[in-house]
Amino acid sequence: MSKNNPVIALAGNPNVGKTTLFNALTGSRQTVGNWPGVTVEHKQGYYLYQGRRYEVIDLPGIYSLSAASPDEQVARNYILQKKPDLVINIVDASNLERNLYLTVQLLELGAPVLLLLSMIDIAQRNQISIEYEHMESHLGIAALPLVLNRRLDTQALMQQIERQLELPREPVTIHYDEVVEQHLTAVQEVLQAQAEDIPAFSDGWQSLPLNWLALKLLERDVKIWEPVPARLAPLLEKEIRAVEKHRGQSSDAVLADDRYGFIRGLVKDVVKRKPLPKSTYSDRIDRFALSRIAGLPLFFVVMYLVFLLAVRVSQPLIGWIDAGLTWLLVDRWGALLALIGLPQWLNYLFSAALGGGIATIGTFIPPIFFIFMSLSILEDSGYMARAAFIADKFMRRIGLPGKAFIPLLVGFGCTVPAIMATRTLESKRDRVFASLLTPFMSCGAKLPVYTFLAMLFFPRRADLAIFGLYLFGVVMAMLFGLALKKTIFKTQPGNFVMELPPYHIPTLNAILLHTWHRLKDFVLRAGKTILLVIIVVNILQVVSLPDPLSGSGQKVSILELGGKALTPLLHPMGISSANWEASVALISGLFAKEAIVGTLQGLYRSDAAPDLEANLMAGFGSRAAMVAYLLFILLYSPCAASLTMLFREHGSRWMFFAFVYLTALAWIIATVAYQVLAFNPRSWLWLSLSAALVLIFFLSLKLIGRSHAVKT
Amino acid sequence: MLSRRNRVRLRQFGRRFSLRSRTCNCRRGDCLELAKLSTGRSARILCNNDIKTIERGLYHGVKITSFRNEPDEPNIVVAVGDSRYVLDRRIAEQIRVRII
Repeated sequence: MSKNNPVIALAGNPNVGKTTLFNALTGSRQTVGNWPGVTVEHKQGYYLYQGRRYEVIDLPGIYSLSAASPDEQVARNYILQKKPDLVINIVDASNLERNLYLTVQLLELGAPVLLLLSMIDIAQRNQISIEYEHMESHLGIAALPLVLNRRLDTQALMQQIERQLELPREPVTIHYDEVVEQHLTAVQEVLQAQAEDIPAFSDGWQSLPLNWLALKLLERDVKIWEPVPARLAPLLEKEIRAVEKHRGQSSDAVLADDRYGFIRGLVKDVVKRKPLPKSTYSDRIDRFALSRIAGLPLFFVVMYLVFLLAVRVSQPLIGWIDAGLTWLLVDRWGALLALIGLPQWLNYLFSAALGGGIATIGTFIPPIFFIFMSLSILEDSGYMARAAFIADKFMRRIGLPGKAFIPLLVGFGCTVPAIMATRTLESKRDRVFASLLTPFMSCGAKLPVYTFLAMLFFPRRADLAIFGLYLFGVVMAMLFGLALKKTIFKTQPGNFVMELPPYHIPTLNAILLHTWHRLKDFVLRAGKTILLVIIVVNILQVVSLPDPLSGSGQKVSILELGGKALTPLLHPMGISSANWEASVALISGLFAKEAIVGTLQGLYRSDAAPDLEANLMAGFGSRAAMVAYLLFILLYSPCAASLTMLFREHGSRWMFFAFVYLTALAWIIATVAYQVLAFNPRSWLWLSLSAALVLIFFLSLKLIGRSHAVKT
Repeated sequence: MLSRRNRVRLRQFGRRFSLRSRTCNCRRGDCLELAKLSTGRSARILCNNDIKTIERGLYHGVKITSFRNEPDEPNIVVAVGDSRYVLDRRIAEQIRVRII
């Protein structure tokens, strides 16, 4: 914290426009959504105003400072520990009462607050008029109106921020019920008297207002109670029980009710509004979109449309991009390099490997763009939260709350942010459980693999084949979820409380920005990995060793050797020993799923046989083998980045669990699929073995459940 | 005369009651569970001890309208002021309301 470089934190309820304001102030391009959980970590940016550098922190949306879930803890810990110079509290003017609850808590904490009332246009449309100066006089802080989705006068806002930093105002003190105040004073006296015996006072408590600490102790806030010595507990418990006896409610509910008492009085005084309409525009849409008859079919139609758009519309674009980039970066570029007289191997590396790699990345762009655009439209319109409500019925069956649908849906974009998005779930059980199911949702990186192989093997109905794979992933997630519910996660899921945001007509600007942000992120990350994998694959293809399997001393490439060593294990799922390239592609997919396409393209094309499609067809031999291969890709271990994220969020135990169990599951399913589709007398043997493995799989989960069950 | 062991047991038995979370103090027929509020009906919250929902505005005395309440569904949809919430039926069963 420094007066020369002030730190400004943006705090508020979810979905009030914190990220929009952050982008407006800093010029950043953070993702904005019309559903809670968009920001799960705090984001940092800065702006310069009159020669000063202002650090801006975008905090996750929170309803209060009680820190029930990890994303709420991120916001609360930041305000408590980093002590920003100014907290800009953004409140939704069209829903003032609920939003002011956090404001009251910020004032109790003694944070320097600037109140910004967003969504003024919606408030005006709902005939709500707010007396800002009157509100300022009651709260003792500045309150400014703001319309975030139109052109924002950032200069005026920056001026206001500077003024607030220079002239901080004295906020109002919130008073509780008389008896509660007495006990609050008693708790403060205990803290004052015993301050020397509480080590936390020397570790940071001394900078927190005593009144706030007393409130949190009365609320039984776990984090604040942690450092309290056991011998002080009875003294504090006595005060809490007295408050509870007085009001016949739990102490945290007493304080929350009293805060709302203050807010209700304030709103009554400063807000004038016409009576609430019986039903809003969103309610009328919801009557249809959430109805018993139309809700579920609409949900599936919307999801199918997303994939139809991603596959059908992008199909011709993929062809054009592939042809154009191959002509430019492989053929023309290669010819130019040959003309310069570059050695053949270097020419190959720069044109076929690098140029071909870039062309491969180019083909990803249309389907990924359309899938991200569709998800952006769903998020910005507000349908995403409705989809979570619809999905809750199935989610409950597999032991997860409906809110877990949101991380799973993010999983269709990328598994890494999906695992991060599980932080919006309150209980550890739900977070671990949802994280283990996210790899079943085919991420954006798998889509190019599906598109490439499905268009080759099922050219007439590639869209149906791809949709089928996505759907199969969801079905497998449900089955795996059921198995986990019966074994490791036996307890009930956490309580589901979710806000349904009003429907918005998404703006083109927001959708394109949202899509661009995700697409850029994906392409840059995928691009780096693919190029790296292609170079490594090419090197491994050139370096050769004597083949120990043939015994003749014939030299083969390292890649061929590795692939051949793995292939016997994949034989039951239709990968013949001659098709070792498919095994190598699976190994590269462990680094990043998108690398599978690059590896297949690199290995199935040679100077002797340049026709990639014909080589792939010949390699797999049948559609049954391809279906099994696609199923294996869908289900086997998540990529290295996702495994790392699992490790970061839940530890090494769950990371290994995901790697081992998902790969084993993928092998079983792919084997069953191949043996059924290409049935022969020996299939019984493999099907029996698969059945035995399913039994072992379930029993091992039960054993894990006995010793490592996650209950809360 | 009770033995020391039984005196301790009795004391613990009493404590169990004194520490039990207090249920809503409304008379029979005076209020009902929010989970039983049929679709379209409005009510006022009489008792709510769930801090998560209080923080979202379902506090004592607020008007609440049931937007969707199908008995076989795990959740209900309610309107509080301008907000719409999906509430777990287990939470809704703990909230007492009076129909208005």
